[in-house]
Amino acid sequence: MQHSIKDDYINSIKNYTNQFEDTNFRRIACNDFKNWPSPREETWRLSRLGSLSRKKIKPINPNLKKNNNNISNLIGSTIIQFIDGAYREDLSSKLPSGINLSVLSDSESLKYLQKIKKSNLSDHPSTNVSLSCTPSIIKLTVSKDIKVKNFLEIIYEGGEDSKSVHPVLYLELEENSSLYLIERFNHLTSLVMPLQLIELRNKASLNSIKIFNDNEKTYNLSANCVYLSKESYLNSFSLIKGGIFTRSETHAYLNGCNAKLNLNGVYISCNKQHHDLTTAIYHDVPDCTSKQIVRGVLGGKSTGVFQGKVRVAQDAQRTDGQQMSRAILLSDTASANAKPELEIYADDVICAHGATVGELDDDQLFYLNSRGVPMDKSREILIKAFLEDMINQSVDISLHDFVFKEAELALSSIITKEIL
Amino acid sequence: MSLLEIKNAHLKLDDKNILNGVSLSVNKGEVHAIMGPNGSGKSTLSYMLAGRDGYELEKGEILLDGISLSEMEADERARSGLFLAFQYPVELPGVGGMSFLREAVNSRRKFLGEEELDHLAFVKEARNEASKMYVKDEMLKRAVNVGFSGGEKKRFEILQMAMLKPTVSILDETDSGLDVDALKIVSDGVNAQRNSDNAIVVITHYQRLLDYIVPDFVHILSDGVIIKSGGPELALEVEKNGYSGLINAA
Repeated sequence: MQHSIKDDYINSIKNYTNQFEDTNFRRIACNDFKNWPSPREETWRLSRLGSLSRKKIKPINPNLKKNNNNISNLIGSTIIQFIDGAYREDLSSKLPSGINLSVLSDSESLKYLQKIKKSNLSDHPSTNVSLSCTPSIIKLTVSKDIKVKNFLEIIYEGGEDSKSVHPVLYLELEENSSLYLIERFNHLTSLVMPLQLIELRNKASLNSIKIFNDNEKTYNLSANCVYLSKESYLNSFSLIKGGIFTRSETHAYLNGCNAKLNLNGVYISCNKQHHDLTTAIYHDVPDCTSKQIVRGVLGGKSTGVFQGKVRVAQDAQRTDGQQMSRAILLSDTASANAKPELEIYADDVICAHGATVGELDDDQLFYLNSRGVPMDKSREILIKAFLEDMINQSVDISLHDFVFKEAELALSSIITKEIL
Repeated sequence: MSLLEIKNAHLKLDDKNILNGVSLSVNKGEVHAIMGPNGSGKSTLSYMLAGRDGYELEKGEILLDGISLSEMEADERARSGLFLAFQYPVELPGVGGMSFLREAVNSRRKFLGEEELDHLAFVKEARNEASKMYVKDEMLKRAVNVGFSGGEKKRFEILQMAMLKPTVSILDETDSGLDVDALKIVSDGVNAQRNSDNAIVVITHYQRLLDYIVPDFVHILSDGVIIKSGGPELALEVEKNGYSGLINAA
C-alpha cells in the first residue's frame, strides 16, 4: 500500500495514544479518526481540506516555557492563557470567586468524549484528533447564581510550522449564572483544532465572542458543541478574519423550554483566505428561539461559506427560528456560498431564512454620492456600516467598540486593496 | 446667465425614449415647478440632473452656473451645488445620521475651499438646523432613514438641503406620503431657504404642494418634453381640468 502523508499524521497520533489503555478516551478518539473529511461529505463539500491533507504535519509537543505575545487585553478582563494548546497557569490571571478552573481526570475526560459523541460533531476531525492529542481538557465552571462582572478573556496562541495544536475546553454555567466570554485565536501554526463543549444549565446566560485571527498560513477547524437547558440564553458572535482557512462549526442543542440562542457571525476575507461558518441548531423542545445573522465581506480571491441548518423536532411547537445571511463581494474573483437549511417536523412554528450574495447596493451608493460623498468614500462608509449595523444588533453594548475595532482592522486592509 | 440651463435633453432607458428634448432655464432666486402625469419623465429628469449611473444624456446639455455637468459624476455635481431631495429617501442601516450629515457637509465645504467644521461646531449647527425642521436629536443618532416615518424622511431631506446650502435644489415629489401638517413643515423649511442666490425646481404631480411652495413658473412635462409653461395659474388649471386637456391641446 502506498504510504501517504495522511497516514503519517494518523500514525503519529496512534503512536502517541498507544501508550494509553484501550479504554482511555484518547485511544477511543484516535480509533475514530479515519481520515480527513472528503468533499463527498455534504457539509465539507464547500470547504475542502485537500491541501491540508497533503501537508506534512504532526501534533505539537507543547513547550511550557514559551512566552505569550502580550496582545492588548480588554481593560479589567480576567485572562486565561493557552499556548500550544496547553493551559498556562503562570500566564493567566487569578480567577474571581465563582469561577473554577480544573483539569479533567481520565474518567471525566471519557465522559466529556461521550457527551460530544452523542452530538453530530462525533465525526468532526477536531473531536477525534484533539481528544487524542490535547495536553489536557480544561474545565471552567461558573457556580450557581454567580453573575461574573468582569470579562473573561481566553487567549489561544502558539504553535509552529508543520504542527497541529489542540486546545480542548469544557465550559459549564451552572443554574442562574452568567458570564461574558471573549476568546481570541492567535496561533502561528499549520493547524489548530479547538474543541469545546458548553453546557448552560437552567437560566444560565452566556455572552460569547470569538475572534479568529490566526496567522495567514493557519488552518483553524473549530468545533463547538452547545447544550442549552430551560430558560438559558446564549448570545454568540464570531468574527472570522485570520488564517488561510478558518471554519467555525457549532452545533447547538436547545433541550430546555424557553431557551434562547443567537448565533451570529461575520467573516472578513481577502487574498486567498477561505472562511466558513457552519452551524446546526436543534430545536428539540417547545417554545425556544434561535436567531442567526451572518455577514461577510470578501475581496481578492477569497471564498466565504455559510451553512446553517435548523432542525425543529416534532415536539418543538412554537419554535421561532430566524436565519439571515448576506455577503458582499468587493472583487470579481471573490466568491461566497450560502446554504441555509430548514428541517421542520412541528406544525406550529415561525421559521424564516434568507441569503443574499452581491455587491454594494446601487441606491445606497447613489444616495451618498448625491450628497457629495465621493464613490470610494461612499463604498467605505457602506461596508463599515454593513458590519457595524450587524455588530450593534448582535453584540452586547459594552463590547460594541471592541468588536468593531477588531473588524475594522481587517476591513481597512480590504478597503485599501479593493477600493482606494 | 441662468443658474441651471437644460438644453434639448434627450435620454433613453432600455432603448425607450424617456426625455425627448427638454429645455429649461432657471435663474437665481426663482422657483420652478415641473408637473406632469405618471410616466411623463419627471423622476428620470431628476436622476439625470443628479447624475445617476445609467441616466446619461444621449443628446443635449446641462449647465450649472455656466459649467457643463455632463462629464461630472453625481458626487461632483453635488459638491458643485446641485441637490436632489429624493422621492423615496434611501435607508442606510449602520450609517448614523449625524456622521452622514457631517461627511456630506465637509465634502461640500472642501470643494468650496472652506475649512471643514470641527466636531463641536458641526454638531451645534446640525442641531440648530434640525430643530427648525422638527428633527429631534434622537433622530440624528439613528441610522439614516431607517425606521423613519414618511414625514421624518422628507424632513430629513430638507434638513440636508439646509445644511448643504446648494445653489440649485431639485425636489422630487417631496409632497408624496405627507399629511397636511408634515407638508406644511417641509414647505416652510424649503421656503426658509429661498434666497436671491439660489433656485429651486419642484417636481410634483399635484398642485397641493404649490399652495405652500409658490412657484414663479410652472411647466407641464408630457412624454419627455415640456408642452406648456406659465405662471402659478397653470397649476390651478391642471388641478381643475387634469393633464389630459393640456396634453390634447398640445
